[in-house]
This record gives sequence, C-alpha cells and structure tokens, in this order.
Amino acid sequence: MTTAAPDSPLAAAPASRSRRASNAGPMLAVAALALLLYWPVMLLANRGVAQRALDSGADLGCKTALACATQLRNPVIPAPGQFLEGFRALTIPPTAPTSAPYNMLVTGGETLLGLSLASLLGLILATLLVRSRSFERATLPWLIASQTVPIVAIAPMLAVLLGQYGVQGFLPKAIIAAYIAFFPVAIGMAQGLRSPDPLQLDLMRTYRASPGQVFGLLRLPASLPYLFTSLKVAATAALVGSIVAEISTISFSGLGKMLAENSRASDTVALWVIMVYSAVLGIALVALIGWLEKGVTRWRPAR
Amino acid sequence: MTQVSSTRPIVSVRDLGMVFPVPGGQTVALQDANLEIMPGEFISLIGPSGCGKTTLLRLMADLVRPTSGSLSVNGETPDAARQKRAYGYVFQAPALMDWRNVLSNVKLPLEVMNLPREGRDARAREMLKLVGLEKFERSYPWQLSGGMQQRVSIARALAFDPPLLFMDEPFGALDEITRENLNLELLRLWRETGKTVVFVTHSISEAVFLSTRVVVMTARPGKIEGVVNIDLPHPRGEDSREDPRFFQYATEIRELLKKGHA
Ligand SMILES: Nc1ncnc2c1ncn2[C@@H]1O[C@H](COP(=O)(O)OP(=O)(O)O)[C@@H](O)[C@H]1O
Ligand SMILES: [Mg+2]
Repeated sequence: MTTAAPDSPLAAAPASRSRRASNAGPMLAVAALALLLYWPVMLLANRGVAQRALDSGADLGCKTALACATQLRNPVIPAPGQFLEGFRALTIPPTAPTSAPYNMLVTGGETLLGLSLASLLGLILATLLVRSRSFERATLPWLIASQTVPIVAIAPMLAVLLGQYGVQGFLPKAIIAAYIAFFPVAIGMAQGLRSPDPLQLDLMRTYRASPGQVFGLLRLPASLPYLFTSLKVAATAALVGSIVAEISTISFSGLGKMLAENSRASDTVALWVIMVYSAVLGIALVALIGWLEKGVTRWRPAR
Repeated sequence: MTQVSSTRPIVSVRDLGMVFPVPGGQTVALQDANLEIMPGEFISLIGPSGCGKTTLLRLMADLVRPTSGSLSVNGETPDAARQKRAYGYVFQAPALMDWRNVLSNVKLPLEVMNLPREGRDARAREMLKLVGLEKFERSYPWQLSGGMQQRVSIARALAFDPPLLFMDEPFGALDEITRENLNLELLRLWRETGKTVVFVTHSISEAVFLSTRVVVMTARPGKIEGVVNIDLPHPRGEDSREDPRFFQYATEIRELLKKGHA
C-alpha cells in the first residue's frame, strides 16, 4: 500500500494492438487470392454454358467456348467488364428508385427499425426470463417454437394480417425482421443478465440494494458485452428477414424486391451486383454495432 | 485497542449450527458454535478448508440463515443489522465491477446507499489513499494486479464507514510478500479506525500477527475447537514475528488444529 505493487501493468494494450494489425495481413492475402482466382474460375464456370449455346447454333459473335465465356448474356459468373457495366447501370444515378444504393438504404432502414424493435422486445423478454423461473418455463418453449417456423412461410401471412390493420410498406418488413431478430437478443441478454458473479450479488445484498439497483447497477451493465454479441447475430438475421419479407410480399422497393424482379428476368449480372450490395449492407450493419459496442464498453481491454 | 471498554458484544453466537442438504445426505458445515466478539477486537477464524469459516462469516452477515441456534449482531438479528448497514464485507475474490474504474468501484456502496452526491468523490479518494491506490483511481480492474484489486475491494468495504468488517481470506490468493505488506497496512487501518474485524485465514502466522484472539476451527463436522488470546503488544511490526510468544501462540494453535484432526 505504501509500496506500490511492482505489477501495475498497462502492458496488455500494446500487445493487443499489434495483434490487431497482424490480422490485416492474412485477410488481404485471402482477398488477393480470390481476385487471382476470379478470372480462371469465371472461365471455367461459363465455358459449359457457352459450349451448349454454340452447339445449339446460337450466334454469340465468338468462335470458341473459351472466347464466348466472357460474353454470355446471362453468365454464371460475370466477366469483370460485364460486372462493372452492370454495377454502373444499377448504381447511377444513386437516387433513382430503381438503383441498388437507393434500395439498399430502404432495406437497411427496415433492418435497423426491425433491429430496434427486436432489441426492445428482447430486453423485455430477457428481463422477465431472468426475473421469474415460471415465466421461463411457460414461455421459453414457445419462443423456441416461434423460431422453428420458416420465416418464408410466416412473412406473407404477417404482411396480409398487418395490412388488414392498415400497416403497410416499410413497417411490415421491419416487423418481420424483428420477428427473427428478437430471439438471439432475448437469449443473449438473458445470459448476460445472469452473468454477474454470485459474490457480486452477495455484495449488493450486504448494501441492502433494492431489486432495481441490483438490475441497474449490476445485471444490466454486466449484460452489455452479451447484448452486443447477440446484436451482431441479430443484425444479420434481421437483414435476412427484411429481404425475405420484400421477396415474399408485395413490395415496391428494397433489395429483396430487386432480387425477385431480376431472378424472374434471369438477369444474372444484376443478381450478382445486388448480392454484392447486400453483402456490403450486412457488413455495414455489423460494423455499426461493433462501433457502438466500442463506444459503450469503453472500459474493456482492447482486443 | 486491546483494552475493551464496552461490555456488550458486537457479535454474539449461541449454539449456532448450519446444515446443508447435499445429494444423498447432508453436510454439517457448522455445529454448536459459541462465540462473543467485543467491539474493537480483531478476531481471526482459522482452520482447514471446509471447516465452516466462510459459513460462520456468511451467517453473521445474513447471507445465509442458520438451521439451528441463534446469533446477534449489534444486539439485533443479523437481518436487522444488515438492513442498517452495520458491516462491510470483503470477499475471497475482489468482486469488482469490470465496467467501473477504481474510484467508481469504491463509490458503489455510497451510490447504493444514496449518500450525498457531493461527498462521494472525496470519501472514495480518502479510502483509496488509505490503501495506497490514490494514483490509480482512473484505472479499470483489468489493469490492476490481484493485490491491488483486493485493496480496492477493502477500500470499497470501508467507504461507508461500517463499524464492523468481515473479511473472508482477502489475501488468500496473493504472494507472501504482498500479503505481509497488506497485513501491516490492515493492522494500521484497524488501529486508526477502531473497527471490529472478523478475519478468515488459513495461515497460522497471519492469524497470530493480526489478531487479538484467534478462533481455531476444525472440520467434519465444522466446529470451534478453541480460542487463543494473542497477548502481543501493539503496534505490531516485523519484529513482533521474532517475539518468543509469537511462536508459543503459533504452536498452541497448531496443537488445537491437530486435536481436531485426530
Ligand atoms: N451452499 C452450500 N451448499 C452445500 N454445501 C455447502 C454450501 N456452502 C458450504 N458448504 C459445505 O459446508 C462446509 C463448510 O464450508 P465453508 O464454510 O465454505 O468452509 P471454509 O470456508 O472453512 O473452507 C463444506 O463442506 C462445504 O462443502
Ligand atoms: Mg472459505
């Protein structure tokens, strides 16, 4: 106490920083490998289709299957040029209601709204689950059952049902997204709310803390890391939910609506472009949550 | 400090027993324990693991209820004493809140007890100074060594100035050197504040060095084997360990522990 302990280490921080830096290397290597393989894999994937087209006597403006592989109208994998052209066509102008960025924002908005609803519902459910064993016994099987029904089967029914109450457009998709996203949040939060050490609960007892104080000062902050982990799972689930909702209900915008349209038209280039936009949206959502997590759980060691 | 003026015990334990049901039977964690602790005493509970030291402490703190016998704290039931926040408890593990920095951890009881907001920081800083951690108030628990974390938990227990302190092997997980340092600091703290301390340990020399009385416990069933008065002068320092009486007391305690073993 008068002599400070020799080990007052802040040494963990630099170590983990260098660990994070070294993560980028392998990741870039994989990206480079994927780029390198793109061309041969694309040729290989398209050659068969090109050969069949040539055999059927179609005039593709090219002689060999290999040469035609980069010029198919609906390629299995688009050639770089085709992909860039499709990308440009679906991106510019970005404000057009038919453009992929515009529709990505619509889907992203639905997903975020759905995620917020899911968090609220998940938090309430988790609190009740932790509060009462009998509530858990009564509801947990039903919560699990709710997740075993395929979302594709539920989405149209929910949309029709909600439509009868005048809920249309944006909101039904968000609700369908919330339907699959609340579950991981509820389970993760329940686990987090139960995570405090028994000694910490005893400690609060020696202070004569009220149940509200135990919740607010101990259980809730202890659950935050769990919340963010489950939110990352929930975010991708919610994204799937809103895209499925857009595909399986009457929609006028969203990536799901674009996917449905272009798959009916067999426009594979457009489908590839939309897929890339969906991936970007998914990554952005998870990154957003990661960023929130860093802000909220500032006290944690850098990892 | 050893001269106790008040005659009313601060803790009084009568025929206390605690039985835990376990699969296929029951464990007698504590049997027929009798003990009176006077204000200002430093009492150590010593014994092999499983002899009911923690159980006895938890009974006094109203963290569990006895299955037989009775006890009073401050002349009331342990429950009433807990409701009045009569004691601070230092657990075997620091049990700090990871998301709170050191200062904020020490302030926790002040927040829970709704003590005036203005005084909290000053009080917590004062406690941190007492345990020599004033330079670390902004650090988070993961940035501290085990010994420093345990000192934070002691500061936290002292923050609301309880007259009674329960400590369950607070230094059990620490190395010998850190431990002896903390022993010295704890003794100083006890002499300066006049608090009553009930301290659990399984180190004989720690018990002799710190205590006014050592309660020797034995296992299966957990019971109090005997009580040894430690009549070493205060203030105690490193040279107290060289005192011939120190060895006498240690031997006496060792004999009592052996008696329970036979
Ligand atoms: N909650 C409990 N349930 C069942 N058995 C327990 C419980 N707490 C303690 N015991 C048992 O009671 C005995 C005394 O335990 P404890 O007081 O922790 O001993 P000590 O602290 O001296 O090591 C041990 O045999 C232990 O297994
Ligand atoms: Mg113990």
